[in-house]
Amino acid sequence: MAAVLVHIDLDGDRPHPSSIAALAAGRAVASSWGATLYAALVVHDPSERGSSDTTGKIASSSRVPGVEAVQSALARAGADKVVIAVIDTPIAPLWSSIGGAWQVVLDHLRPRLVLFGADSPSTAELGPRTGARIGARLLLRARVLGGDEVELRDRDGGYVRASDTGAAVAMIGGVHRVIPGEDDVDLVVLVAPSSADPRVELVGTSAAEVAHTGGAIVVIGEDVATDAEIARDAVRLAALLGAPLVGGSGAARAGSVAPGGVIERGAALAPDVCVMIGTVAIDLAGASSLVRINTSSAKGVDGALTGPIGQSVADLCRVLGGS
Amino acid sequence: MTIAIWLGSAAPARTIRWLDGALAAAAKFTQADPRKLPAVAIAAGDPTWLDLAADRATRAGLTSAGVVTDLQLDYLGWAQIVAAAARHLGATTILVDEASRSERFPEVAAIAELLDAAQLTHVVSIAPDGATIHASRAAGNALQTIRVRGPAVIGLRIAGPAIDEYPTPTPSASMKRLDLPALGLDPAVIVHRALPPRAPQNPRHTLERVAEHLAVHVIPRSPRTRSG
Repeated sequence: MAAVLVHIDLDGDRPHPSSIAALAAGRAVASSWGATLYAALVVHDPSERGSSDTTGKIASSSRVPGVEAVQSALARAGADKVVIAVIDTPIAPLWSSIGGAWQVVLDHLRPRLVLFGADSPSTAELGPRTGARIGARLLLRARVLGGDEVELRDRDGGYVRASDTGAAVAMIGGVHRVIPGEDDVDLVVLVAPSSADPRVELVGTSAAEVAHTGGAIVVIGEDVATDAEIARDAVRLAALLGAPLVGGSGAARAGSVAPGGVIERGAALAPDVCVMIGTVAIDLAGASSLVRINTSSAKGVDGALTGPIGQSVADLCRVLGGS
Repeated sequence: MTIAIWLGSAAPARTIRWLDGALAAAAKFTQADPRKLPAVAIAAGDPTWLDLAADRATRAGLTSAGVVTDLQLDYLGWAQIVAAAARHLGATTILVDEASRSERFPEVAAIAELLDAAQLTHVVSIAPDGATIHASRAAGNALQTIRVRGPAVIGLRIAGPAIDEYPTPTPSASMKRLDLPALGLDPAVIVHRALPPRAPQNPRHTLERVAEHLAVHVIPRSPRTRSG
């Protein structure tokens, strides 16, 4: 039976919401394709000595202290089996930190489809490298589409179907409803070899400036920042996208943008996606997807709403928020 | 370490500011140690793009190498070409301009995999220091400070100065031309990584289509359950 594998990042002591969304998508795919759904995570246990076997070893004990709640959460989110790879080095969301242990999971399961939560911390480092390692097709920010047979599709027209040959890796974006599963599932514990790559060393972490935002960003123009309804809906849209709301100093004076969200005219930004509300002057990287909400259309956009600005922002919030 | 920078297989989508920023970052390695050979900018694709890449590389003080091809490949296909070019040029550390086009980001990991190198994505500043590279990496709302030693592939998101217009590049005589067989690659094999032809994406202009485009960016908050 084919394996669908979902990588799980932790957010504190719980599965990251984006990983749970990927698991929900995986449940839909696995049920449609008749595949087994594995949820796998890498955890740090300083008491566990790394395996000398480069392929890892299956632990004699099927208990890992402190992960019972995670195991239960993954079971309820639809996993058929949970795989935990234990390493003796600290976890960081970098391939150099957890790539070796993740490779052990891949070697044991040889999955046909690997899913990551697009917004979970390790995905940028693990997702494409997983694809390269198993020679898979890669979908960035994919979602599940129903029909006679469930498939995954990204916004560039890439897709993964049950009838495809070869492996695929997909990063699942957006919200996917969890279909509750059993409370109890099989657990496999793999002791991974000591695998942290000494060539990359995480020295420290600090808060990023808004200019370095890599996910979504919402920019409000000074021409609309004084409109209370538009400003309120811009805040709501930013919250839906998990994005900072930024704007010029005029927008800050109008109270629409927090002091940390002030950007200069012509600021260079490279988020995954940028929503511009009103007239905005920033220098957006070519890799960024751009949606513009203004009364006039413009070139170089992936989407544009050109009706009344206030109505467009409110409608977009309503549709995306499901209310 | 010998430095190469992969500029990609097509011209930047919106502005060349990030291309210039990546080239300036590569030039730092030569400035830090003038005894080194200049970093090599690698590009692939049509001649017009290669001329632009060579022109911007020359202005940044870099040499350049170009692979003329009309192939349209996926991330692993381009990575094979870059890895082969890096070996051909003797480069051990590869920088990648991952900000100018969206398809470039996954190539960082694929090149690293093929070269068995360390990888680092989403780097927003970089400073060479002998055999060590100090890098800052954007990770969600956090900025990670990272030290890299040894062979690595590093994806850059660094903007150069604002630029409104730039001179039309002329065909470059200085760019080293490479072809696939010279790199040890068989075009008949690498074509297996060709992307299927897709219709050009027109901008979305309706609420439903814009919302559909943005739906994959909505942040899941907490598990939502439904019965049945």
